[in-house]
Amino acid sequence: MAELEVRDLTVEFDSGGYRVRPLDRLSLDAGGGELVVLLGPSGCGKTTLLSCLAGLLEPTDGTVRFQGIDVGGLSGAGLAEYRQRTVGVVFQAFNLLASLSARKNVMVPMTLAGVGRKEAGVRADALLERVALSERASHRPAQLSGGQQQRVAIARALVHDPPLVVADEPTAHLDHIQVEGILVLLRELAAPGRTVVVSTHDDRITHIADRVIELAPQFSDADRPDEEVRLADGAVLFEQGDRGDLVYEVVEGAIEVYRNRSDGSDEVLAEIRPGNYFGEIGPMLNLPRSASARARGAVVLTAMSIRSFRARFPATVKEARGPLG
Amino acid sequence: MFSITLSDLLYRRRQFLIATLGAALVFAMTLLLAGLTAGFGVEITQTVGGFRADAWVVKAGSSGRVTSLTPMSDAAAALVARTPGVTGATPVVVIPQTASVDGALQQVNLVGAPVGSAPARQPLTDGHQVAGPGQAVVDTRLGVGVGAHVAVGGHPFVIVGTTSDRTLLGGIPNLYVGLRDAQVAAFEGARIISAVVVTGVPTRAPVGMTVLTGQQIDGASLDQMATAVSSIDNSKLFMWVIAAVIVASLVYVTALERTRDFAVLKALGASSGSLYAGLAFQAVLVALIAAAIATLLAQFMVGVFSQPIDFPTSAYIELPLSAVVVGLLSSLIALRRAVAADPAKAFAG
Repeated sequence: MAELEVRDLTVEFDSGGYRVRPLDRLSLDAGGGELVVLLGPSGCGKTTLLSCLAGLLEPTDGTVRFQGIDVGGLSGAGLAEYRQRTVGVVFQAFNLLASLSARKNVMVPMTLAGVGRKEAGVRADALLERVALSERASHRPAQLSGGQQQRVAIARALVHDPPLVVADEPTAHLDHIQVEGILVLLRELAAPGRTVVVSTHDDRITHIADRVIELAPQFSDADRPDEEVRLADGAVLFEQGDRGDLVYEVVEGAIEVYRNRSDGSDEVLAEIRPGNYFGEIGPMLNLPRSASARARGAVVLTAMSIRSFRARFPATVKEARGPLG
Repeated sequence: MFSITLSDLLYRRRQFLIATLGAALVFAMTLLLAGLTAGFGVEITQTVGGFRADAWVVKAGSSGRVTSLTPMSDAAAALVARTPGVTGATPVVVIPQTASVDGALQQVNLVGAPVGSAPARQPLTDGHQVAGPGQAVVDTRLGVGVGAHVAVGGHPFVIVGTTSDRTLLGGIPNLYVGLRDAQVAAFEGARIISAVVVTGVPTRAPVGMTVLTGQQIDGASLDQMATAVSSIDNSKLFMWVIAAVIVASLVYVTALERTRDFAVLKALGASSGSLYAGLAFQAVLVALIAAAIATLLAQFMVGVFSQPIDFPTSAYIELPLSAVVVGLLSSLIALRRAVAADPAKAFAG
């Protein structure tokens, strides 16, 4: 049985009046001692997933279970206990408290958990030694380099020796020398009894991972023949949040591009007539569709790959067209 | 949480220092206003007590306010002296007047009593008691010393002695002269008095007169200051509000600056309650430090006021307690920040 089980995880929230779904029915498993890398570009839901794993975000649907604990079912003291004892979080921006020394930053989770000052100090010293920062223990974050701050943040995440460590883009703000140190440390942490989940858009980290989970599917850029697509009146071609690798040109009929508003209504953004194309932004930037498309009347479309689209519309590829894709 | 809060307070010590000093100034003003209010009562008690009377016999219907007693003939003294229970009866004049001091006009409370009588003898800081016509003893607040010349109603006096803590009406100095001199200066020589102060316990009052105790004179005289006391009390209330606004501004700005910290702390397991407790701790600490500074500051600011200021013990108890309330109320403004902090925001790069 996997230590970490994520089933049909869906997170949906309101963004500027529109419904956004960064995670849509995601499932994954991870075993104890594994270093799991969540790979994907910005906006693909990595951080949202980590927030759910850490008990910081309640999913709209689906479950997260760690060591049998239903994280979504926790609340109050149980949730606080989970955040304090079960999961250690390493943030992209380090998030050390500027007013505290490195040592006191490491002591914070223990202070919050009511651990005695002396005991917390001894533990903090041991962890700072482990991340090779003993000599910088009395320095405040502003006096530390990015790599040193991240090591302090990792030490802080380990104070309660949590069985789950989640790290959000832990190398994002670091130079290559600092990156090496952090990766070695993360690799060491993933040992029997502890699962480490790291999000990144840097595929170099995948080489040290036990398991790589791509949150954004990689579509082939290879050429493929254009296809004809026929839709009946009202048929939905794709929905907002879907991922796709095709661009469409309207041959006959009309396509309505619309967005789902938070109140459940639809906002029509454009009507695409014959000779015009749509749906190019998502595939080109490897982003989820930012709007939905449905047929208005009987419609005939030409579906094409990005390569084909570039060949057919060379001048317009450089134009930003807004939320039509 | 408190150690984290304390570290944050030290980290932001400059802005905390500015707010603390601002609140301390306001608290000091509050303390001074409390002293001012108490001063009104104290000066009346000291002046009235200075007459060393067991009772005051005044014209019936008189308010009992020591500076505005209804005038009556000085023949009343003889009538009072014959009243059963009275062992001594001394006619006195107490009336606000304008004095000319080196050509400048100043307010004084002219107090006339027979030379050598108990009401005429005040504790001296310099010189000697009034020994004859044309002599006066004055409170040091008039700003003149022994040998100075003062004119009241065109009647000249030479200062032969000075006294202290003998003022009325918010620091206006008393000028003690002989009874006849007072009648000449204030009533163009008419034999009018304000009251007969007696020793012993009169069993009844002569016809047309009434007997008041010293406490009744005190109370009635303090009533005269009721409007001023009320205004000062209202000002004191405003001072508390200003102090609360200063501390609240500091706490709110701190909470705004610490939005990310709150999210991180929540992500690490802190509860909304503990975050608020930290903010409340900061606010109360600032208010208490400000109160302590204010206590010292007020002692130096006393000299700025011409009115007598007497810090009652209750003010020193009220100040820190009020400071705690101010701190707690101030921190409420940041409560929403602490409660609304979203731990998921800690992930925002």
